[in-house]
Amino acid sequence: MIVADKKPIEEIIEEIKDHEKILILGCNECVTVCEAGGKKEVGVLASALRMYFLNEGKEVKIDEVTLERQCDHEYLEEIRDSMDQYDAVVSIACGVGVQFMAEKYHDTPIYPGVNTCFMGVTEKRGLWTERCQACGECILATTGGICPITRCAKRVLNGPCGGSVRGSCEINKEIDCAWQLIVDRLKSLNRLDDYETLCPLKDWSTDRAGGPRKVVREDLQQ
Amino acid sequence: MQLKRKFDAGEFAVLAEMEPPKGVDVSKMVTHAMRVKGDVDAFVVPEMSNAVMRMSSLGGAVILQNKGMETVIQLNCRDRNRIALQADLLAAFGCGVTNVMAVTGEDPSYGDHFQARSVYDIDLLELLGAIRGLQEGKDMAGIELSGAPEFLVGSTVNAGAKGKSPELVIEEMNKEIKAGVQFFISPPLFDLSAIEPFTKKVDIKKAKIIPTVLLLKSLGMARYIMRNVEDVYVPDSLVDRIRKSSDKVRECTLIASEMVSLLKNEGFSGVHIATLGWENKLPEILERI
Repeated sequence: MIVADKKPIEEIIEEIKDHEKILILGCNECVTVCEAGGKKEVGVLASALRMYFLNEGKEVKIDEVTLERQCDHEYLEEIRDSMDQYDAVVSIACGVGVQFMAEKYHDTPIYPGVNTCFMGVTEKRGLWTERCQACGECILATTGGICPITRCAKRVLNGPCGGSVRGSCEINKEIDCAWQLIVDRLKSLNRLDDYETLCPLKDWSTDRAGGPRKVVREDLQQ
Repeated sequence: MQLKRKFDAGEFAVLAEMEPPKGVDVSKMVTHAMRVKGDVDAFVVPEMSNAVMRMSSLGGAVILQNKGMETVIQLNCRDRNRIALQADLLAAFGCGVTNVMAVTGEDPSYGDHFQARSVYDIDLLELLGAIRGLQEGKDMAGIELSGAPEFLVGSTVNAGAKGKSPELVIEEMNKEIKAGVQFFISPPLFDLSAIEPFTKKVDIKKAKIIPTVLLLKSLGMARYIMRNVEDVYVPDSLVDRIRKSSDKVRECTLIASEMVSLLKNEGFSGVHIATLGWENKLPEILERI
């Protein structure tokens, strides 16, 4: 899932301080799971903003809506009829939702209420960790299902760098060396021979290097 | 320092592009540059234009500087992060290069290493800020330098941009001037009318606009640019002139040479001559100045 983290309230206040009719728009998908932008967080943020403006003596209308998703036309269309009631929207979906909203509602400023962090997993409640950088050319088959592009600080593809010490990464002892994890995993799969195979030169054109990407499925478009 | 002196004195400066080799044989580059050494104020050494891997701008420039020629290096944001960019700026000044141009750099997908990952750790304006910071004696981390460089800083401006208002182009240019840019090289120019909306609104002398004079090599090249290069205007009359000529190469050289003289007479601060591999034609192009 896409993992996001709440923006400091001061930053959100700075974004919306000149508006008077504001919609706080949540998303019922990834950001709900990571407890940054779901219905519950919409309510908490809206209450905090109401209190702030009340203390400031400013009359500001703050409404709450949480959509099923903010990355699909059909759900964003659900609020079309009510959009003229607002002069700003704070979307607490990921950056994808914020942008799709802005593409759809040209005349209304859409502000981000979260920082979109990465694609990752819930290790336990309150702890989400990164697993994928969407490089567009998955190599997990050769690395025992552990991604060195995501989990190695230097993204090295052919074994650990000199900074790998006792299974930890040189940038932080708390971080596992991705290549230590890969070697351990290959050992347990009895596939350590794979480790000796050199990884071919990485084609970054499928990553962000090639500009904004798209997936086209003509079979689904007909 | 010849370039800075000319700019300061308001004299017409001649810049010539000198692309380093794809390889280590620098003999052609050096020979071509030496032939026009006395007529060119500084050689602009591109930094892997069109994202095609070749000898670096700094490397090529140092080779020319060692032969007594002044150079302008280019630094792009595509290939290096802020650490490497600053390191190369210090290295450049240490090697005697005092003119730098900050450029964004084309995406690797244009070049011969399209699988490469671009860097873009900092953008053009941030790079200009870094150059200013180094000149003030501090790096981007705020740490004091042991000796600060002093550069003449250039950039590019798309004076004949189509689909973009001259006001917006000028606004962007002014942002760069505020960030420390002292001269601007603009794309190939074949007809002054193509940049008139821009030049009418800009003091070309004050902003030091340096148009590029591109040596056409054939009728086909002229037609290709006319049809495919959006921001470069090649008038029909020019294509006709080349078509009717019995010695097309001579005619193209003459066209470039006339354009250089025209820019000088029109009060531009200088010219940037690009010959794309035909650097041996530089003496002919320069003979009318």
